[in-house]
Amino acid sequence: MLIRPRLTDYHGITLAQEDADFAIPFFDEDIPLYVDPFLMWRSPSQQDIALHGALLTAFNHLGQLALNGHEDEAANALIAASECDEVGLGSSRTRHGKRIGRGKAEELLAIFRRIPHYATHGLSHIEELQFFVEGISKDRISDFACSFLKSFLIDFTIDQCNRLDIPTAPKTVPNVWDPRSRTFVSVAASLPIDPTDDRPLLLVPKRWLRFVPWISYEGYFEKHCPQDDISHEPETLTRVEVLRYNRDNYGVVASYIEARERAFKDAANDPLFSQIPVRSARSKLAQIKKLPTGKVDGADTKYEAAVGQLLPSLLYPNLDFAQLQARTDSGVSIRDLIFYNTQRAPFLQEIYADYGSRQITFEMKNVAAIERIHVDQLNRYMADELGCFGVFVTRNALKKAEAQRTIDLWSGQRKAIVTLTDSDVEQMVEVFDSKQRDPLDVIAKKYAEFRRACP
Amino acid sequence: MKRRGDVESLEKLIGQLQGLHSEISLLAKKSPNDGVNSFKLRLINRVVAAANEVLGPDYLPFGDFEAFDADDVPSTSDVALMLAQYMEEAERYRSDNVKFWHGNWVYVVKGEPSDIPSGAPTKVGRK
Repeated sequence: MLIRPRLTDYHGITLAQEDADFAIPFFDEDIPLYVDPFLMWRSPSQQDIALHGALLTAFNHLGQLALNGHEDEAANALIAASECDEVGLGSSRTRHGKRIGRGKAEELLAIFRRIPHYATHGLSHIEELQFFVEGISKDRISDFACSFLKSFLIDFTIDQCNRLDIPTAPKTVPNVWDPRSRTFVSVAASLPIDPTDDRPLLLVPKRWLRFVPWISYEGYFEKHCPQDDISHEPETLTRVEVLRYNRDNYGVVASYIEARERAFKDAANDPLFSQIPVRSARSKLAQIKKLPTGKVDGADTKYEAAVGQLLPSLLYPNLDFAQLQARTDSGVSIRDLIFYNTQRAPFLQEIYADYGSRQITFEMKNVAAIERIHVDQLNRYMADELGCFGVFVTRNALKKAEAQRTIDLWSGQRKAIVTLTDSDVEQMVEVFDSKQRDPLDVIAKKYAEFRRACP
Repeated sequence: MKRRGDVESLEKLIGQLQGLHSEISLLAKKSPNDGVNSFKLRLINRVVAAANEVLGPDYLPFGDFEAFDADDVPSTSDVALMLAQYMEEAERYRSDNVKFWHGNWVYVVKGEPSDIPSGAPTKVGRK
């Protein structure tokens, strides 16, 4: 079984997140990013702008319904739109969200009555809801956007699956907004499936994702809201007070929105993984080199933490980081870094073809010398999806006997174990800085050296 | 040297080796462990190949070294070291093929002093 499976890797499709147009979903947890509708509004693409328009039209329609006495219908629609499990964004570890309650839905609809501008013109960004209703934040905004645009997301998902040959199955998707009937309907479509619970998955364009929406309550509270006017004791200023103030002073919110709209050029989507800066990589390396071997003063934990931060950045985007794993083998605690093999470089294609590595394990060992038992442990671990290729990240080169043991493993079982020492990590950091070579080339070099030693 | 063309090849080689060495040793002083990118390696390998041909088996610094392998990710200091060895050997080859003739140092072609001027050998006085 794969470790922290992703949709693509599960189906044997090797694709780097960097090269994908969408955020590759995990099966067991959400992606910690949110759809920011502002990114559609500021997009140069007419399609995105039109989608933003459709989203606002749908939402404002519900507001009008409520104003015209169809409160029940509007509240039911809002409740249905308040969660979109198929996309799996947010911070949930289970991919199951909770919908808003009736009271919250009515509170949301009440702002159309409370604020005259909304009654006549409607909202111009759904992020504005955050400024008037408590409990509405980036996750709900993202869910509202996904629910009202689900029809587009279904098309986008089908298109991407066809391009990448991701297997799909016919499924019924509930709560798809139909702009003609202006209701939520169920739609039958052929979509990728989460095998853990047989539910359909929807892919979301990477270009729409941010950690925090461009128009956010936190940004407003910090920089824009006249805190002194709301309360003379700023320490006790609560969100509820600010929201109440906002309802009576729509102009303040409107000017914040205008300011954010003017600064639209700075609004960019957030990457799913950001590399650590070169300076930080160098300081991690210096930290590693200073550490003693062994466990004195938690040197092993510090070593694992530093390597754990360094390697995912050095190897990005060629290897996507999956997880830091802790396991125990024969009473020995083992920590390793697992990467998805993206087959992005010829070396990685070779590893995939020769050793069947869909994921690659880097075992970290802060010991003076790798011993026979360590080699045996890694050897036992290399099976199934992890393939027959493993890497030791350790302080010093293998001694002759252990090096011979790795060569014997290759001779007998065609398993390859290469070792990255401090000097190799140093060279990786050097080339990460100078950009003269790819840090992955250093691993390829170690593998070439290993193969030359093999019979 | 057998032909006048050999003198030209050698002088070109010495110039190229010196140029590369001064560039690479600058990089090597800054970060000795840094890798050399594949573009530079390709150029360096072309000069190394020319050196292997011009110097011949007697003057090769290491008999089993032919070229840098890009897969080995040679570092700047590796390349600087190797280029320095080639420069030494090129100079030894040149020194063995010049002669003081009528008040000037000239190259020896086909066993006879030619009219191609050269610098004094670095090993003057030792041989």
